[in-house]
Amino acid sequence: MTGPHGVGIGWRPEIAGFVAELPGLRFVEVIAEAVSTAGPPPDALVQLRERGVAVVPHGVRLSLGGTEPVQPARVAHLAAVAELLAAPLVSEHIAFVRAGGLEAGHLLPLPRTREAVDVVCANVARAQAELPVPIALEPIAALFDWPDDELDEAAFLSEILTRTDALLLLDVANVHANARNRGTDPLTLLDRLPLDRVAYLHVAGGAEQGGFYHDTHTHPVCAPVLELLAELCARRRPPAVLLERDGHYPPAAELRAELDAVATAAGLPTVT
Amino acid sequence: MSSVPAAGSLAVRQAELVAALVAGGPTPPGFAPAPLAAARAALLRKRAGEVARHWPLLAAGLGPNWPATFLGWAAGRPTNGGLRDGWDLARALHTDHALPALGADELAVREAAFRYDGHRPPRPRRGPALGRVGGALAGQLAGRVRLLRPAR
Repeated sequence: MTGPHGVGIGWRPEIAGFVAELPGLRFVEVIAEAVSTAGPPPDALVQLRERGVAVVPHGVRLSLGGTEPVQPARVAHLAAVAELLAAPLVSEHIAFVRAGGLEAGHLLPLPRTREAVDVVCANVARAQAELPVPIALEPIAALFDWPDDELDEAAFLSEILTRTDALLLLDVANVHANARNRGTDPLTLLDRLPLDRVAYLHVAGGAEQGGFYHDTHTHPVCAPVLELLAELCARRRPPAVLLERDGHYPPAAELRAELDAVATAAGLPTVT
Repeated sequence: MSSVPAAGSLAVRQAELVAALVAGGPTPPGFAPAPLAAARAALLRKRAGEVARHWPLLAAGLGPNWPATFLGWAAGRPTNGGLRDGWDLARALHTDHALPALGADELAVREAAFRYDGHRPPRPRRGPALGRVGGALAGQLAGRVRLLRPAR
């Protein structure tokens, strides 16, 4: 099984019919925690697999950046989903989602410190020991930073990737969001990341609200994100790019047009 | 970890940050207040969407008042997941005579299908059961649940 190729879309039950009718599709992602391993996968996913579409389980609740060791049952579930779907790889985030017995309900940023690098690397190693396939790590969009960062983002991410030997899942919308909200240049970050380690890219929509750019996944992909995608692919085009949409689904024609815009910006074949 | 984390350690600081974001805790030292407030609000909006997915009739019944109703109830109250959050909110609204008819229908169906004590995750009821919320009445027999009489 090869890794993901071409333009993909995040498979969600609400758009399963739309996804099933994309003729050129070779790659989707599923939220790993939403897949039950008690029985067979949903029929729609089985049919995609029979068409040769790669399905990548995307975890959102491992909390690899949490100071407590990653929960073995959560790793076992991710591994089981990967087996169930014959996935070429899995992905998760460089983030934490719970602490002190409370669930945050979202991905939270880590301080960019050497202590946090150690925490992430230890948890990634624990996960890798149980996973049947490679893992790709995704840097998140954060609305705030910790007050005591020792490393800049490029150094923080590069250190984690080097020490874990993990692949990179780079979310172009997150790069845009962080640069916009911090007032930094996104191209500076792209120029310092190990783009040869990118397994695939994410793009998603967002919106300006209250002086911040929010990575909502419920709005259309904005022009600056498509421009950044083109800039990145001009430097080094990764094998695949995936559109994430998690609600307020537009009419099929709009979603197809958005997939086409992503393909054009990335220089990849259209799948619609 | 068996040892108690030291004050100022990453474990303690992560816990303080999550408490500040979802449980009404104080802003941890050194964090810029405005971005943290934006994150707190974004988390609540995301939670409102998740609850609305689990409780579509409750959200629809509240209509334009849904966001404010949910945010007012959820601020400072940590999540137990979309299913239980919506359940707790619907029960609270019912107690306050503020549950819309569609929400009462939805709650009655859930009460007939599951046993939920407000503390542990809901569990399917084994035997036949009725769910009654105001005028709404739902019945469950052998795992099949039907709304017998809608609220008005």
